[in-house]
Amino acid sequence: MAEKKRKVREESQKKTGRGEKKRKQLLSRILTTENHKKKKNIIKKKSNHKGDRRKTGPRLPNALRKAIDLLNPKPRESDEEIDSDAEVQVKDVYEYEERMPEEESKKNRRFDHVDNLEYELPEEFEDEDLSSEDDDDDDNVKRNDRGDGSNQVEDEEEKENDDRHSRMVQAIIGMQGKAVEELEADPSRAVFDGDGHISIQDLLEPLHGKPGYSKLRKRVQQLEKKSMPLQAPLPKVDREKLDRKAAYEQSKKEITKWEPLVKRNREAPTIYFDEDVNLGFSTVGAIASEFEPRTDFEKKIASVMRDAQVVEAHNQDGSRLLELNKISIEDVKDRQNRLAKMRSLLFRHEMKAKHIKKIKSKTYHRLLKKDKMKAASTERQMDPEAAKEYAMKQEFKRAEERMRLKHKNSSKWAKRILKRGLNAQDEGTRAAISEQLHQHTLLTRKMNSMKDSSSSDEDEDDDEDDMPGTEQDEASKLLTKAKEKTLKVIEEEDEMPQSGVLSLPFMVRGLKKRKEAAYEEAKLVLQEYDSSLKQLEDTDELSSPKVDTSCGRRVFGMAKKNSQESTNKKKSDNIVNNSDSEDDLEPKENVDVEHDKVRALHNDAHIDCDVLRQESGLDPDNVFKSFDDIVRDPGPKTTYEVSIFAPDSSKKMKREKEVNGNGRKPPSAVAPSLRFQNVEEVDRDTDTESGEEMVDGILSSATKPSYELPSQADLIHRAFAGDDVEEEFEKDKLEILNEEVPEPEKPVLLPGWGQWTHIQQKKGLPSWMLEEHENAKKKRGDALKRRKDAHLKHVIISEKIDKKAAKLHTKTLPYPYTSKEVFEQSIRMPIGPEFNPATSVGALNRPEVVKKSGIIIKPIKFEEVNPYDKVEEQKHSGRKQRTKNKGSGGKTINKKIEKKVN
Amino acid sequence: MKVKVISRSEDEFTRERSQDLQRVFRNFDPSLRTQEKATEYVRALNAAKVEKIFARPFMGAMDGHIDAVSCMAKNPNHLKGIFSGSMDGDIRLWDIASRQTVCQFPGHQGAVRGLTASTDGRILISCGTDCTVRLWNVPVASIMESDDLSDNSAKPLAVYVWKNAFWAVDHQWDGDLFATAGAQVDIWDRNRSAPVNSFEWGHDTVVSVRFNPGEPNVLATSASDRSITLYDLRMSSPARKLIMKTKTNSISWNPMEPMNFTAANEDCNCYSYDARKLDEAKCVHRDHVSAVMDIDFSPTGREFVTGSYDRTVRIFQYNGGHSREVYHTKRMQRVFCVKFSCDATYVISGSDDTNLRLWKAKASEQLGVLLPRERKKQEYLEAVKNRYKHLPEVKRIVRHRHLPKPIYKATALRRTMTEAERRKEERKKAHSAPGSMPTEPLRKRRIIKEVE
Repeated sequence: MAEKKRKVREESQKKTGRGEKKRKQLLSRILTTENHKKKKNIIKKKSNHKGDRRKTGPRLPNALRKAIDLLNPKPRESDEEIDSDAEVQVKDVYEYEERMPEEESKKNRRFDHVDNLEYELPEEFEDEDLSSEDDDDDDNVKRNDRGDGSNQVEDEEEKENDDRHSRMVQAIIGMQGKAVEELEADPSRAVFDGDGHISIQDLLEPLHGKPGYSKLRKRVQQLEKKSMPLQAPLPKVDREKLDRKAAYEQSKKEITKWEPLVKRNREAPTIYFDEDVNLGFSTVGAIASEFEPRTDFEKKIASVMRDAQVVEAHNQDGSRLLELNKISIEDVKDRQNRLAKMRSLLFRHEMKAKHIKKIKSKTYHRLLKKDKMKAASTERQMDPEAAKEYAMKQEFKRAEERMRLKHKNSSKWAKRILKRGLNAQDEGTRAAISEQLHQHTLLTRKMNSMKDSSSSDEDEDDDEDDMPGTEQDEASKLLTKAKEKTLKVIEEEDEMPQSGVLSLPFMVRGLKKRKEAAYEEAKLVLQEYDSSLKQLEDTDELSSPKVDTSCGRRVFGMAKKNSQESTNKKKSDNIVNNSDSEDDLEPKENVDVEHDKVRALHNDAHIDCDVLRQESGLDPDNVFKSFDDIVRDPGPKTTYEVSIFAPDSSKKMKREKEVNGNGRKPPSAVAPSLRFQNVEEVDRDTDTESGEEMVDGILSSATKPSYELPSQADLIHRAFAGDDVEEEFEKDKLEILNEEVPEPEKPVLLPGWGQWTHIQQKKGLPSWMLEEHENAKKKRGDALKRRKDAHLKHVIISEKIDKKAAKLHTKTLPYPYTSKEVFEQSIRMPIGPEFNPATSVGALNRPEVVKKSGIIIKPIKFEEVNPYDKVEEQKHSGRKQRTKNKGSGGKTINKKIEKKVN
Repeated sequence: MKVKVISRSEDEFTRERSQDLQRVFRNFDPSLRTQEKATEYVRALNAAKVEKIFARPFMGAMDGHIDAVSCMAKNPNHLKGIFSGSMDGDIRLWDIASRQTVCQFPGHQGAVRGLTASTDGRILISCGTDCTVRLWNVPVASIMESDDLSDNSAKPLAVYVWKNAFWAVDHQWDGDLFATAGAQVDIWDRNRSAPVNSFEWGHDTVVSVRFNPGEPNVLATSASDRSITLYDLRMSSPARKLIMKTKTNSISWNPMEPMNFTAANEDCNCYSYDARKLDEAKCVHRDHVSAVMDIDFSPTGREFVTGSYDRTVRIFQYNGGHSREVYHTKRMQRVFCVKFSCDATYVISGSDDTNLRLWKAKASEQLGVLLPRERKKQEYLEAVKNRYKHLPEVKRIVRHRHLPKPIYKATALRRTMTEAERRKEERKKAHSAPGSMPTEPLRKRRIIKEVE
């Protein structure tokens, strides 16, 4: 390119005459086309020509130039255009002023030469409008004069039109011309100006019309005037350095564009990375369409599903599906047969069941039942599981029985039969009734298999019997048992028949009498027991009193239990008797049932009695009989048997009190004592009442005659006459003060320390010690004065450091916070869901970074952020617990405000 | 007469579905609840304790290499995939979920020093001390199809043999270029067999190179002359060099803040720099007791993970001076490379003991699907803990970490040393003319100069 340009330039140099003319034309053009942006290129080209010519041009004689001018007239069309432009231009003084220098600057290499071809003038073109153009020039010059008044222009004014331009140019670049010559002489010059590098002029060109352009241009000219030697190229290192510098500046600038974005992200309370997540297929259909059969089964299904025929049938009305649905005849037949067989089997089973149900033979059913039972029992024996189940069932039955008492003659049928009387019934009914009762007893009986703790009573007793103890022990045990029994019997006596014959007054009286008698007897018997027991103990004392007592006590407890049980039973029996006093059978039954149990309970009692008989010389028969009677005799009489046997035993002892002391008072005995107590109470009541009265009386009598209302202070003084509260308080306070601000220890001389001679002793304590003590004292005084309660006489304000509270305080102000208040504010409001409405909890608790695991987070993408925009924290706004270091105070305050808004 | 009655719309207290929670109406008047702060404090304390109890960061180890793992690369497009290269020239693709090798890439004759994958995850680029750069096709297959071990080794797409050994490679984000580091920095196009550009500034070996993911034409390298250099591909020229007192082993750009990068230094610290102001570090991250070998930023840009020669992996906040977390196991040796997973949930470390280890980024995080209520609860506990973290009890629990004895001792020793240095400096200053010894902050102290 550069080569080409150079060539062209050389050509143009050859025809300098033409170039000269062109220059003129150009000048006019330049003068006129000011703001003509379109023409700018053209101007460039022309001026380039001008520059070229300038090298040789300025030295042509005027005459010659004129001739050349005449030879080369200007193109008309362009001139016209330019004229119009000029007219427009004329008005603009300022622009013009700038245009002139442009024309004057004789710069070469400014414009592209090649494009010039467009405006090359034909050789024989006549320049007819030259004068007019000159006029224009005149005008321009004048205006220029007015505007600028630069010397060069003034000089030019007087000159002729023809050579004015050349002269002007010469005047301007007179000096430069020489320089150019010099340059021409320089062989390197061709290279220098031949290259197509962009020059300063090129760079200046776009500045046309800008203020300050002329100044700049002048300076450039001046620079150019001075022929400066070319600088040697910079060393590579420096060049690279400059490059790097530029690159760094550039990249710095590029990177800075991220700043608002980064700032926004950093200041946001939360950044979200879980948004705009492409979850892939969202609909079931889409997922299903992606399904690929993998297993054999799936493939088979898929082959059926994607069968063309089936698909087609589906796509149509579906009626063809029926055709495709083929089933073999054998299959259908098979199925039918199977169904028929099942049906017939069911029918037969049903029939059989009906038939069996219809059979009325009891024997058959019994046998059936038996069979079933047998089967069940064998099964139970064989199978522990079944046995367990059976046991469970039994247990349930028992429980049910206990709850419902179904077999206790409570049914309508049983009641009716009982009402009519059992004797009136036939054998079968009676048997049924008894069977029922038996059932009840069976069901309600406590089962040994259940490992009851209650049923172990006897076992324990037996164990005790088996225990290797002395005979005396056994004897004592027996005795205590017997005693128990008697006591129990005595206890039982308090029950009185409420209805029936026995409730008649005379009967009651008789009963009472007899009871009292029996009671007496019982007491006697008890005393006997006691004495015999004592005897035993006496003999036993030496051997093992401890064991003995413990043993006795234990036995006592056991026996008591037993006795209570038995009494209960008897009571219930009584009740039964009372209600069904007419029937004989039933009580008997009851008793029979009872009998079993009671016998079991009292087995040892018999033994007791025997032993007892042998030990103490009592009349054994009576006792034995009595106990047997207790056990054996039917209900109502049992209690009285005791009283019957009692008179026979004839020994009396005076140990009534002891018996009473045992707390087993007979009702008769209780009654009087109660009465006595009542009396006593009444007495006491009266006593207290009278006492109060007395007090009242004293008071009234004391105050009435000369009562004078004492003053409040007096009263208080009198009330607290004894104690001096204030002094106590002061003492307390002093104590606390001493504790909190301890008094400095008095300096003491440790004996032996620093006492080489007697000198020190004479001097006393060293001065520094005293001083220290003084200081400590002063300090203490200050500390006391500084206390909050120093001036409050009646108050103690503890200034002890609370260790428990200390853990709720930070030692220093945490990092992002700038002041204590701000920090405290930041933790003032709770953030929990219990303390905040659901709408704000989320915002309060939101973490700084919200992301989902499993979602790839891409690096940041550039987006325009308006830095002056208030950060839109906005939707998700709320808590701002930022770790950033700037202005945490402001942030927290913001937070507070937000909260308030919420 | 107007009778005032309570009127409530039924919508307020009826549930839409039977599974919905019953709405509880509360009076939020703070005067009614005076103990709320105490309640929250206790909750924070409990949360801290519970967090400590549930802190079980180690997920599993991936063994298979027969030499130390020297480099790793994550697949930017596939969460489960991670590539690892070892000192014996073995390259493996792991499936993190099953912790098994999916594929092997045999071919390198010497140690593999650099690995990187293209942004779309299709092409893996490796380089090593055998002076070759190899491009591989990453198999799309999952673990299920690669059960038979016979065909799970891939062949390279291309092998470019070059003049010098390579130390590192990194791929441009969303582009075709990648850069290798060795005797000089070469910029390659994936489709050409020779570098399209190469930069040489100084004569020392470049040991690491990293493209800026946010600004894909900017890259940073560190060299064995203790320098960190920035390059701009738009100007196709180096931009700036920073020389520190010790070598930088690795660099990582913050993916969310394109102007910031953090350098893992030989002097046990990491230095966060703003690329525009290299005269001083933004932050110094201290805690390691031996040279930091590798660093990788979390994709969230809020934290980064470092692996160190002291056999620990640490996680730092991007602006935190001390580590948030330290991971170590008895068997883990010098850690040569670490990576944060693309979802910022896991951390993977490769160490001298030939194993890759998978860690949770948050030690006590509950993995798996969280129900919304569960998530809310955890968020609340986290918030409460964060609020009271300055109080001594909570702080003690939250900050407590068990350290291996050697590291603990080394930490103590380092502390003593820095303390002694500080004291000496103080005394020197006290005994010299005022103003003659200006205090230089740590952020500047380790910088020698900035070269234009």
